[in-house]
Amino acid sequence: MAKKTYDLLFKLLLIGDSGVGKTCILFRFSDNHFTTTFISTIGIDFKIKTVELRGKKIKLQIWDTAGQERFHTITTSYYRGAMGIMLVYDITNEKTFDDIVKWLRNIDEHANEDVEKMILGNKCDMEEKRVVSKDRGEAIAREHGIRFMETSAKANINIDRAFSELAEAILDKTAGRDADADHARIAVERRPSRAPPARACCS
Amino acid sequence: MNYEETKSVVQEKFLSSERVTAFLCDAKVLHPEWVKKDRLLCIVEYGDEKAVFCLFTSSYPPKSFTDLSIEIVLPIDNTFKCEIDNKPSDPEAVLYLNLQSRNNKFKFEIQMTPRVDNFVDDLFRGIEAVSKVPTQPEFVWLKKYHGKDEDDIITQFSVIPRSGVAHAQNSAPVAIRESLIKRKMYDKELEYTFTKKFTVFCGTWNVNDKSPVIPLEGWLSVDREPPDIYAVGFQELDLSKETFLFDQTFREDEWYNAVINYVDRRAKYVKLEKVRLVGMLLIVLIKQKYISHVRNVVCDTVGTGIMGKMGNKGGVSIRFDLHNTSMCFVNSHLAAHVEEYERRNQDFRDICNRTRFLQPNQQAKAIKDHDQIYWIGDLNYRITDLDPNTVKQLIKDNNFEKILEWDQLKQQHKNNNVFAGYTEGPITFKPTYKYDPGTDNWDSSEKNRAPAWCDRIFWKGEAISQLAYRSHPALNISDHKPVSATFSSSIKVIDEEKYRKVYEDVIKQLDKLENELIPQVKVDLTEIDFGTVKYLELQVRTITIKNIGKLPVEFEFIKKLDETSFCKEWLIVEPYKKCICADESCEIQLKVLINKTSACKINAGTDKLYDILVLHLYGGKDIFITVTGTYQRSCFGCSIEVLVNLNKPIKDVPVGKLIELENKRDQCVSNQSTYSIPKEIWFLVDHIYLHGLKEPNLFEQPGLHSEVLQIRDWLDSGSVDPIPGSIHSVAEALLLLLESTADPIIPYNLQSICLKASANYLQCKQIVMELPEFRKNVFLYLCEFLQEALQHSAENGLDAKTLSTLFGEIFLRDNPNQIQEPQSRINKQVIDKKKAQFVHHFLVNDHSDLIFTR
Ligand SMILES: Nc1nc2c(ncn2[C@@H]2O[C@H](COP(=O)(O)OP(=O)(O)OP(=O)(O)O)[C@@H](O)[C@H]2O)c(=O)[nH]1
Ligand SMILES: [Mg+2]
Repeated sequence: MAKKTYDLLFKLLLIGDSGVGKTCILFRFSDNHFTTTFISTIGIDFKIKTVELRGKKIKLQIWDTAGQERFHTITTSYYRGAMGIMLVYDITNEKTFDDIVKWLRNIDEHANEDVEKMILGNKCDMEEKRVVSKDRGEAIAREHGIRFMETSAKANINIDRAFSELAEAILDKTAGRDADADHARIAVERRPSRAPPARACCS
Repeated sequence: MNYEETKSVVQEKFLSSERVTAFLCDAKVLHPEWVKKDRLLCIVEYGDEKAVFCLFTSSYPPKSFTDLSIEIVLPIDNTFKCEIDNKPSDPEAVLYLNLQSRNNKFKFEIQMTPRVDNFVDDLFRGIEAVSKVPTQPEFVWLKKYHGKDEDDIITQFSVIPRSGVAHAQNSAPVAIRESLIKRKMYDKELEYTFTKKFTVFCGTWNVNDKSPVIPLEGWLSVDREPPDIYAVGFQELDLSKETFLFDQTFREDEWYNAVINYVDRRAKYVKLEKVRLVGMLLIVLIKQKYISHVRNVVCDTVGTGIMGKMGNKGGVSIRFDLHNTSMCFVNSHLAAHVEEYERRNQDFRDICNRTRFLQPNQQAKAIKDHDQIYWIGDLNYRITDLDPNTVKQLIKDNNFEKILEWDQLKQQHKNNNVFAGYTEGPITFKPTYKYDPGTDNWDSSEKNRAPAWCDRIFWKGEAISQLAYRSHPALNISDHKPVSATFSSSIKVIDEEKYRKVYEDVIKQLDKLENELIPQVKVDLTEIDFGTVKYLELQVRTITIKNIGKLPVEFEFIKKLDETSFCKEWLIVEPYKKCICADESCEIQLKVLINKTSACKINAGTDKLYDILVLHLYGGKDIFITVTGTYQRSCFGCSIEVLVNLNKPIKDVPVGKLIELENKRDQCVSNQSTYSIPKEIWFLVDHIYLHGLKEPNLFEQPGLHSEVLQIRDWLDSGSVDPIPGSIHSVAEALLLLLESTADPIIPYNLQSICLKASANYLQCKQIVMELPEFRKNVFLYLCEFLQEALQHSAENGLDAKTLSTLFGEIFLRDNPNQIQEPQSRINKQVIDKKKAQFVHHFLVNDHSDLIFTR
């Protein structure tokens, strides 16, 4: 009767321009909750959620990052250790879609080589304001060999699916590599070093 | 207020069932984040469980229980540790008490008083008591002191392992989650289980060293329906010395095979487990179709025989889970001899206390930790105080009730001396001991023992009903007759569908709890704009971090990748690290100060007043705090080569132009530049020359910081007003300006040559000749001025020695970027002397030949 709480822990990361809906996606997924007020994320935050995939309990630790331009250099230091990354753009905002290429480059430079990626075109509930067609989203994903999905945090479209698909992709990899997947194996590491600062601040 | 009165106040803080057994008034918590203020320490007892409480009191001593608030709760469980440090020589007579429980560690400072002994004694009594009880106490009563809901006992665990979520090497949180899930699932058992009746057959036989030479179905196969589970126990399987000494016997297989042969043939059985200790053998069989629902089969043996350890007496046990019900079977052979019933009681207790079922990754279980317990065996209790012949007569009359009144086991059981909480069914069969083997006749030896019901079956647990309890006299090869009982027992079976749903709900609840426990703070400002920042003018801003989560939060400003410090050198953050309790706030001061080092970098464009700090919450998120400001450019911190090129006040020079000049300063040549020395130096020197040469204590009395800042503004803005401030402030500004130039007047690479040449004026002159042009100009200009000043030594009190020391330090400024070997003080003195010596030549000798030669 002693079942494990979870078999695996996956660290996922949400990146993308400010305002595309990263925080909302995470809230919808973890709390099944949505709010229209925009409070831009100033930092890095995470939530956990346990899901079951193919009989395995998987604990997802999902990190939400600040999308604002000025934080880009800092946020890239959190990429390493992520096993899956969601790149989010806003289908009603051309620029956020154009920037996907930039975010992909960031991943190439800073994330683990074998990180699983997925592109999300968010706010697909706003059909009347759409400026990026689904075809274009699919095309760029195909070009880079990445999974793609259109989502809406507001209307709760594809949110659960997106996370399970990403987790499943990671599980496929993990299962192949590790026969002993029964043990909670956790590969998470935070970049900014926590060593004592070189300069203690006392006046 | 005396000790007893205070104690009764403390007692009021707790329920009456929770007794304060010891307490100390003057303890102090030693913790960097806690006020080292008086606390009360007390030990509280509830039933068998004890815990140490640390209380804060708002008035000292507390007048009412409302003055007290509970700060720390440390259950005395088997994780509890106590260490005492004391220094007997310490005149203060204090004692340090290190207490640890479940990953929480605290150090207390305690005043040595006679009460301390009491307290410490009580503490150790508590620790000892815990080490004796077989299972971990649950401390349910402590939950209310941890927080508002039942989950909070976990909350306090989480304080430490939180960071594990991010780091994860630490398995503690996983284990906690695990046990929490188990508990929650256990609480909700009714929601996902239904019960199903199983029949359980228990049989016991003391075979008195005999082999199974007769068929056993008359004992094992007598029920109308084949039982679902068999638990068959034997005693005195083999009385040979070899078995006793080496614990080996062929009889085990003989009897095991006999049992297998003679169990009910209508069903198919498989062995669940068997276990033997010397002559005690326990075999558990189950219908084949149920074996897949059996889990966690573990057995154990306990010897209570010779010296309380040997296996001639004792118990063997098997435990397992069938569906969702835990079952335990014990077969025991207790101490012999009529008068030894106390020994038998003790053997029972020893078996209970010493039997331990070890399972990987789980706490060891004791016999009592099971839903259902079946205890069989030759318990060896006899009939006392009745004459053997009377007993035999009563048996003949079938008057068992009368004899059972004198049965030691019935008596001991009734008084709760043994088998407390267990049940035994009514005995309707003749005593099973002692017969002449091969007959149904009572023992005919001259001992003439009274017959007795040595062989018995007890059970404990809900939903068990006994269907039969009997002996089987026809099996007569031993001096004992076999006994058996059949039970109908309710087993909890899991409804997979419902289980899943409940399980998912529990997981969801836990996820929610875990998310709520992630440290949460509110920072009132994440963008701090210092506005205009001026050279050497300190500015302070405050931000407030409020802990809005449920747990204490520890924050720290952490370094960004590839950076050596968590903030730029012009910024000071205080405190950069601290712990904030729930609902409390912490103010953090951010101070900006541009000194010469950062001014040079900003002037050259290699740094700017912009930084992003990473405020990290342990086990939680990071918050980015942006710091900005606009640096108002100043002549302080500029290069001499740049200053000579500025034909207008620095305030009017575009920032870009300044950066460009700084970066090209090496290419600066005289025929293009505006001045031969920086006008700012000239202004200051000229002012002193005109107004201050006779000023007493010139260059020795410090100026006012505020006036220096006014002079800075005067220079930077090119004001036409007279220079503000006193002569001393002007002199100070001059020194600060000379000290702040991006490069020293004598370049770093020439300094060691200067020091070597310091005794030789000619060589020194030679070096000065070779200085970069504008530095040479400044050097000679200042020496000229200082010579002038020395002319007035009678008034201003200057002498060449003092001045050369002062300016030696400025002209030959140490390179801050050079990693300095730790200099001895003597060495430093020698160097300073040489620097002074170098300058001294130019203060006492006529060097007009050097001036303006190119
Ligand atoms: N219509 C619609 N609006 C959405 C959706 N998702 C997010 N929004 C809105 O978009 C705005 C920004 O959402 P956030 O989730 O805070 O954006 P973000 O990506 O986290 O932004 P940063 O934290 O600055 O990086 C909010 O006002 C949301 O209400 C969606 O699916 N549909
Ligand atoms: Mg956000």
